[in-house]
Amino acid sequence: MKTIHRGSSGARRRAGLALVLTLVVAASLVAGGTAWAQGKTITLSMLAGFKEDVLRANLPEFEKKTGIKVQIDAAPIGDLYKKQVLSLSSAARYDAVFMDEPWIAPLSEFLLPLTERARGYDTSDFVPTALAAGAFQGIQYALPVDPNMQLLIYRKDLFDQKGMKPPTTWDELLAAAKAFTDPAKEQYGIAVTASSDIQTCLYMLVSMWSQGAELVTADGKGGVNTPAGRKGAEIFLELLKFAPTNVRSYTFPDVNKAIQTGQAAMAIQWASGAKPMEDPTRSQVAGKLGYTLVPKAVRQTPMRGVWTIGIPKNSPNQDAAWEFAKWFSSKEFGLAATKFPSASSAIHSPRVSVLQDPGTKASLPYVEALLASLRVAKERPRLREFADIQEHFRITTGKLTAGELTLDAALKEIDAGTNRILGK
Amino acid sequence: MRARGGRGFLLPGLLFLFAIDVVPLIYSAWLSLYDWWLLRPSSIRFIGLGNYLRLATDPELRRAVVVTGLFTAGAVVLEFLVGLGLALLFSQPFRFLRPLRVVLLLPLFVVPVVGATMWRVIFHPDMGPLNYYLNLFGLGRPPWLSDPTLALVSITLVDAWRTIPFMFLVMYAGIEVLPAELFEAAAVDGASRWQAFRHITVPLLSYIMLVAVLIRGMDAFRELDIIYVLTGGGPGTATQTIQMLSYRVFGLGHMGLANALGIITLGLVAVLCYLLMRAILRPERSGGAA
Repeated sequence: MKTIHRGSSGARRRAGLALVLTLVVAASLVAGGTAWAQGKTITLSMLAGFKEDVLRANLPEFEKKTGIKVQIDAAPIGDLYKKQVLSLSSAARYDAVFMDEPWIAPLSEFLLPLTERARGYDTSDFVPTALAAGAFQGIQYALPVDPNMQLLIYRKDLFDQKGMKPPTTWDELLAAAKAFTDPAKEQYGIAVTASSDIQTCLYMLVSMWSQGAELVTADGKGGVNTPAGRKGAEIFLELLKFAPTNVRSYTFPDVNKAIQTGQAAMAIQWASGAKPMEDPTRSQVAGKLGYTLVPKAVRQTPMRGVWTIGIPKNSPNQDAAWEFAKWFSSKEFGLAATKFPSASSAIHSPRVSVLQDPGTKASLPYVEALLASLRVAKERPRLREFADIQEHFRITTGKLTAGELTLDAALKEIDAGTNRILGK
Repeated sequence: MRARGGRGFLLPGLLFLFAIDVVPLIYSAWLSLYDWWLLRPSSIRFIGLGNYLRLATDPELRRAVVVTGLFTAGAVVLEFLVGLGLALLFSQPFRFLRPLRVVLLLPLFVVPVVGATMWRVIFHPDMGPLNYYLNLFGLGRPPWLSDPTLALVSITLVDAWRTIPFMFLVMYAGIEVLPAELFEAAAVDGASRWQAFRHITVPLLSYIMLVAVLIRGMDAFRELDIIYVLTGGGPGTATQTIQMLSYRVFGLGHMGLANALGIITLGLVAVLCYLLMRAILRPERSGGAA
C-alpha cells in the first residue's frame, strides 16, 4: 500500500510537473512566438528613407509576435545594390535583403532558393506578376513586398475644363501635353526626368517597349537601334518640349514637385510618388488628380518595379529570416503600410486582398490603376548582367538628353554596350 | 657601427609603411590582372594586361581623363590664385580683417557631403536661392547642374569654395614668417610693391606654393564626394572624372577593372606630381630664384 501510495504520489508529481511544463511552453508559444526563435537577431539590408520608416514603425509587432529581433542596415537607393553585391559576395553579413526586382537575377548566385519553402506557404493572394518578380529561371528567390508601377498621373480638373479625356496612346499624350503647355504662365504639359538619373532611361524604355522594341531581344542582343526603338525615343524627346524648362536636371522628387505645385498637368511617375501628391499639406492639387495606365502604341507595357525580400545562402539564421520575409510580405503588414502617413513615398502591397480593400483605396486613390497596371506589367530583362546593361543605358540616355550624342549615335551606343556586356 | 645601428631603428617604421602602403598597392596591382566579377565568384581568371588593354581603347576613360584634367586644372588654379590673393590681403596690417580669418576657414570644417548637398540646394534651378536672385535681376535661371559646361564649372566652384581656405591658410602661414628685413631693404633700394612681391615673396614662397599645389592637385584629381552628390558624373558624362568612373565600375562588382582604373589613376597622379615639381623647381635649380 505504502509503495503504491508513494508511487501514486510520485506519478502525480511527475504528471503535475509535465502539466506545468506544457503550460509554460504553450504560454511561451502563444505569448512570444515560436520557442526556437526566442532571442534570435537577424540583420536586414534595407532601403533607407520612407520604406525604412514604415518598416520600423511596424517592426515591434513582428518582434512581439515572434521574439525575433531585426537589426536594420539601411542604405540610400544609389548605394544599396553596391552594398549588397559587396556584402553578399564577401561575407555572411545579412540574413535578409530588401531588393529591387532587377537585382534578383544578378544576386541569385548568393540567394537561397525559396521554392521549397514557398510550396508550404499560401501564395494565392499575391498578384501573379508581383510574385513572379521574385523569381529567376523558374526558381523563387524572393517574396514580393512592395509592387510599384509607372502610372500616367493627370490633372482631372484641367482635363474636365478642356473637355478632354485622359490620353491612352502616346500620340494623345503628346497632343494633351502640347495643349496644356504655356511657358509664359510657367505651365507645362508633362513632368518627366531628362537628367542622367536612372528614371530618364526608364521613361524612354517604356516608350520604346510600347512601340515593340526590346532593350535585350529574345536571342540576347541589343534591340533598341530599330525603327520601333527609334520611334519610342523620338516620342520621349518630343515630350521634353512640353516639360518644364529645367527638366534636364530633374530627378524623382522634382517630377513630384512639378505636379504638387501645379506646374505640370501630367506626369509619368512611379505610383509610390503619387501618394504625397494627394497629401493636402504638401500638394496644391490633392484630390484633383486622376490615374491611369501609361500610354500604349502597338502594345501596353507599363513597367514593373517590385521591391522584394530574399535570404542570402550564407545566412546562419535562415529560418528566422523566412519568418520575417513572410511577415514583411503579409496582408497584415500590407494593410498597415498602405495606411502609413505619407511623407515622400509609399509602400503598396503585393496582395490582391490588400489592394482591393476599401481602406486601401481611401489612402491610395491610385490603387485601381496600380492593380490594373500590375496585372499587365512588363518586366525588365531577367539577366545576371542586367545591372551593367541598365547602367550603360542610363549613361547613354543621359548623354542623349545632354546633347553629347545624337539620337542615331545614342541608339547605336546603347545596343553596342548591351552586346559587349552580353559578349555578343 | 653607430650608423648601422641607427638604421636598425628605422626598420619598424619601414615595415609598418610597407604593410599599410606597399602591400595593398601590390595586391591592387595584382588584382588588376584578373577578370574578377563579384557576381561570378567561380569564374575568376588571370588575364594579364587584359583590363589595361580594354581601358586603353575605352572612349569613356579617355573622356574621364579629359574631364579630370579640366576639373583639376580649373580647381587648383582658381584655388591657388584666390588663396594667394587672400593670404596677401590678410597679411596687411588691417585690424578689421582679423576676425574674418576665422570666417574664411569655416568651409574647411564642413563635411564635404553636407557642403555639397547644401550647394545642390543652392544650385536648384527652380527652388534654389541663387537662381531666385539671378532671376530678380533679369538674369534668368541658369541650369547649373544640367548644362554640360555649367555643371563642370559648378563642381569646380564648389571645390574651390571648400578648399580655398586650405590654400589661404598654408600661404598665409608662409607669408607671415618671411623675413621683414628683406622687404625693408628692397623698400630702401626703391623697389615697388610689385617688384618686392615678384622678386622676394614669390621665390621665398615657392616651396610652400609647391607643397600646397601638390596636395591640392592630388586631392582634386581624386575628388569624388562633391561630384557624386552634385551631378553624379552627369549630365551624360560631362562631369564623370576617373574617380566617378572607378566608383561606377567598382559598384557593379568588376574588381579587376576597378583596380586597373585605380592603378592608372596612381600613375597619372605620379606623372602630375613629377611635372609640377619640375615646373616649380626649375628656376631654383638654375639659380634664377635665389
